[in-house]
Amino acid sequence: MEKSSYDAVVVGAGLAGLMSAYYIAKDKHRVAVISKVFPTRSHSSAAEGGIAAYIKGNSDPNDNPDYMTYDTVKGGDYLVDQDAAELLSNKSGEIVEIMERWGALFNRQPDGRVAIRYFGGQTYPRTRFVGDKTGMALLHTLFERTSGENIDIFPEWFALDLVIDDSKRVNGVVAMEMKTMNPIFFKARAVVLATGGMGMLYRHTTNSYINTGDGYGMALRAGAPIKDPEFVQFHPTALYPSDILISEAARGEGAILKNVNGERFMTKYAPHKLDLAPRDVVSRAILTEVKEGRGYPGVYVGLDLTHLGEKYIKERLALAYEAAKTFAGVDAVNEPIPVRPAQHYYMGGIDVNTMGQNEEIKGLFAAGEAACVSVHGANRLGSNSLLETLVFGRETGITVSRYLSATPELSVDTNPEPILDEAYKFVKSESGVPFGEILEKLRDAMWDRVGVFRDEDGLREALSTITSLREKVKEMYVTDKSGVYNTEFFNALEMRNMMDLAVVIAKAALERRESRGAHYRLDYPKRDDANYLVHTLAYIRGNTVEITTKPVRMTRWQPEERVY
Amino acid sequence: MSSTAELQKGVIKEEKTEIVVKVKRFSKERGEWWQEYKLAVDRFTQITEVLRRIRSEQDPSLSYRAACHMAVCGSCAMKINGAPRLACKTLALDLVKRYNDNVITLEPMDRFPVVKDLITDMTEFYDKMYSVKPRLYPSPQVLEDKAQHRLRPEDQRLLWKYAQCIWCGLCVSSCPAVRIDEKFLGPAAHAKGFRFLADPRDTIQEERMKILLDSAWRCTYCYMCFEVCPREIEPVEAIKLTRTYTPPEGMSEVSRMGEKHTDAIKESITKSGKLMEAYVYGKAYGAGAIRDFVYFLASGRGKYLLVREKPVNNISEVKKLMGEAK
Repeated sequence: MEKSSYDAVVVGAGLAGLMSAYYIAKDKHRVAVISKVFPTRSHSSAAEGGIAAYIKGNSDPNDNPDYMTYDTVKGGDYLVDQDAAELLSNKSGEIVEIMERWGALFNRQPDGRVAIRYFGGQTYPRTRFVGDKTGMALLHTLFERTSGENIDIFPEWFALDLVIDDSKRVNGVVAMEMKTMNPIFFKARAVVLATGGMGMLYRHTTNSYINTGDGYGMALRAGAPIKDPEFVQFHPTALYPSDILISEAARGEGAILKNVNGERFMTKYAPHKLDLAPRDVVSRAILTEVKEGRGYPGVYVGLDLTHLGEKYIKERLALAYEAAKTFAGVDAVNEPIPVRPAQHYYMGGIDVNTMGQNEEIKGLFAAGEAACVSVHGANRLGSNSLLETLVFGRETGITVSRYLSATPELSVDTNPEPILDEAYKFVKSESGVPFGEILEKLRDAMWDRVGVFRDEDGLREALSTITSLREKVKEMYVTDKSGVYNTEFFNALEMRNMMDLAVVIAKAALERRESRGAHYRLDYPKRDDANYLVHTLAYIRGNTVEITTKPVRMTRWQPEERVY
Repeated sequence: MSSTAELQKGVIKEEKTEIVVKVKRFSKERGEWWQEYKLAVDRFTQITEVLRRIRSEQDPSLSYRAACHMAVCGSCAMKINGAPRLACKTLALDLVKRYNDNVITLEPMDRFPVVKDLITDMTEFYDKMYSVKPRLYPSPQVLEDKAQHRLRPEDQRLLWKYAQCIWCGLCVSSCPAVRIDEKFLGPAAHAKGFRFLADPRDTIQEERMKILLDSAWRCTYCYMCFEVCPREIEPVEAIKLTRTYTPPEGMSEVSRMGEKHTDAIKESITKSGKLMEAYVYGKAYGAGAIRDFVYFLASGRGKYLLVREKPVNNISEVKKLMGEAK
């Protein structure tokens, strides 16, 4: 296999990946960015509502970074590492100012300063936004900025696996150019996994088709743990039936959820915060309304924007308006938008500290949704994910740069060939199961049994289904033998990544016998701090999932009852 | 057991319609062929979902690009029933209704070389996007954090319109000017270029004009980009606005000609209230037009040149409109 040497390789070219690459390259280290899609196609572009930031001199006069940390900690149902959340809040203003300087076209106040709006779970409004295409605006700004820097971007290259040596140290990554199917061993002392989320594990998701949890699979196979894998966020307002995200910005701007009787049902579930309660609370409220027969025929409720007026809707919520019109045939100016919960975000991820560093495998870093820095805990607040990608993308980049300066070049080469042999098995076999057969069953199992509401029986059933589906991956085969852009081959590799993660999620969800944030157990409806105020760490050892725990770091905020 | 599955049982049964999807496929090994798939869709099924289901349930070898399924990532540009569109922004049954045919054809975008099935090689597109220096060059004071930008809301709105380009390539795939003129940067790059040219926070305006102005005059105003852009960016409008900038030093031949052409049109209208083609041509191309006129005369169609254009009846009104009233 051909070899290409770099100091560091970043896998993923969304906001987190590009940001860390920028800060690695800034110190003159040689960095490659590998992405299975062209950078602007990354899922960061789909983020809509905004990015939370406390900006000194341009925030609500009563607000301060501590309120922001408190909101984040409480929003995450106290499974948040509070030092990480403090860092997130304290650096938020800075990060937004960097993006502004680089040309991001944030919406403005009449005096020309960056505007703000409310988002769920915020004590004071602090979400900065570019219409409701904030992620796209930031991704383009950052990509355009990095395209002028000394960073080698490899678009449409698929990363197969990490190369790890005998002393549990990263030696690089094997990746393949999708067009030519030519594999290269990218030798590097540090690898940043910034591969984003995993929505495709679920039947209903707002995520891109490309969100197949590739980084989680790679990390697990390399022996690194996934932290808090049982915490999957379901966004309350996905458009029915296409699962296209209707941004929380809609509710931030005043939209109201109504059941079939026209009642504002959130008064029952969150008397103070109402429609702007955190996402886990609102998702459960919607499904409870539906379950008790107050949904619209089918499974949805209405998101009412009509009182906001046409001009306001079209300017501030253009994408929501457009999506409802194009994909559900609903004119949001005149009638409520049909919405229901769908998988949206993964709080769990590759275990890293606040510097983006995994402490078990030397040279392994992760950032963004792929990582679990534990700023979101059991439930992420809206507009904290864009913020996380940039704040921790930068922290990770800076750490990698320091790590590289302190770490000597690798002397011996670890043989990367076994990674390729493993992958080629799928193309070599002449019969077996095509990936689609496994995929569709997995998505149903996850949605039906590892969804918004969970219980012991359902999770056991899911775990056994998933375990047997994971066995089937070994029998998977690729019908297409083409040597150019063979998407079926890459879909098969994605399938392997998805299965490795799925089994970990189901197992961890089964083992957490309490309800906290987005993990809701019908059989254990209360939070149980005495037994479960700990992070889950999950490893894959051969065919079994091994679960251990890790303490939650607390600085100033003791757990209290979470009411909104 | 009351899981999410149970909650899903009340789903409205949407009426399904059987459609036939004909895909123009290509692989290096096999060349080009058409393949048909049959499946049932409801009125909200996007073409991206059609493709996903074909791949998952019928033919895993079908290759295409798709990511966000909400028209912000620009991956799924292709030709659908002959027209350049985003697959995600197209509903299958809308096509069936509009074309009164349950057969839907999918082909790769025009202009770009086909790599595999619906996947095209967009290298040239990306290179042109990079060539307009698509990034803000703020003042050193701002970069060193000694000063902060302010941006008027109306400027933000204007720039944001053009910043929403999702690099899908549809406009370039349907642009006739790009096809014949390699010096034309194409609609997408112009939208992107103008977004920075017009940004009051930028500091390299002169350089941007050098990159953009000559090319801007190479657009033929056919409005295909306006027509096909899935984000309604209206790249041709960015080109029009770019033409209003005056270059810092000597104009290129093309932009000089372009401006003379515009002036000649204005003069023609002011004089006669009509667009006198021969007059405009002679004015804009000057001595260069003589050769063409000679050919024209030689072809025996000289009488057309001799037709005297009488001014329209209410020419004084026209002159008033053109700001030339005495």
